[in-house]
Amino acid sequence: MSSLDDLYRRVIMDHYQKPRNRGKLEESDGLIVNLNNPTCGDSISLSLKVEEGKVVDAKFLGEGCSISMSSASMMTDAVKGKPVEEALELAHKFSDLMQGKEIDDSIDLGDIEALSGVAKFPARIKCATLAWKALEQGIKAARQE
Amino acid sequence: MIDYVDLYESTWKELPWKFEGGTPIIAGAIGLGAAIDFLEEIGLDNIERHEKHLVAYAMEQMREIEGLKIYGPQQDRSSLITFNLDTVHPHDLATVLDSYGIAVRAGHHCAQPLMRWLNVTATARASFYVYNTEEEVDVLVAGLKKTKEYFGNVFS
Repeated sequence: MSSLDDLYRRVIMDHYQKPRNRGKLEESDGLIVNLNNPTCGDSISLSLKVEEGKVVDAKFLGEGCSISMSSASMMTDAVKGKPVEEALELAHKFSDLMQGKEIDDSIDLGDIEALSGVAKFPARIKCATLAWKALEQGIKAARQE
Repeated sequence: MIDYVDLYESTWKELPWKFEGGTPIIAGAIGLGAAIDFLEEIGLDNIERHEKHLVAYAMEQMREIEGLKIYGPQQDRSSLITFNLDTVHPHDLATVLDSYGIAVRAGHHCAQPLMRWLNVTATARASFYVYNTEEEVDVLVAGLKKTKEYFGNVFS
């Protein structure tokens, strides 16, 4: 079961059981991105508050497996308070991580590093990236406003 | 298929060749013939009997697993069993079963309204056919018990 233990790390299950930043922002207070993974049924509703080039607040609601929900929890935790550029940079790093690429040490991934095992389970990569896709869409929408 | 092609005009072959572009699906037709021979040699009645036996064999053991819910008729099923195990998400369940070499379908099975009617986000589904064996059902059941144990530990 060693590779399973690589996938289901304790910190992942902790985020799954006790999701951080679960909820939604008022529409007047931020923008909302709804994303589905149509092949598996996972869904996320991400609320983002972007002000002066900074992700001031991030919350999510959604349904899905332990990987998709823990990833959303970690993502919101990681980008809150960060400049938009840094949040996007983190999204790119995460994409690299999911492709099994080496990540340089310049960015501290924190809890997110625990998801690196997902790269070995190709069928689950889309679970992990759903929340980050929503983040990228949200930032794009915020920039267009 | 074409008859004559120029830069600005073309003519087509007469029907039915006009609509027969490229190589016909020759390998597919031969494969279909071989598949029919294969099924007729075994006999459809035998296949149905085998499927029903495997499903009954699996159902009997799966019912014993606490927290395992089977959807749909509890008897006289066709060769599919749709289920959920405790609060383990079917994708997580499928990944663990996969590590035992058992492939199940997990998700909404292209039937989102049905999932909503069942009041679940997703289900897992095991299906049985002529090439499956009792031993594989045993591995499935053992895998389900392991999943329960694995996620039980994780959640405790």
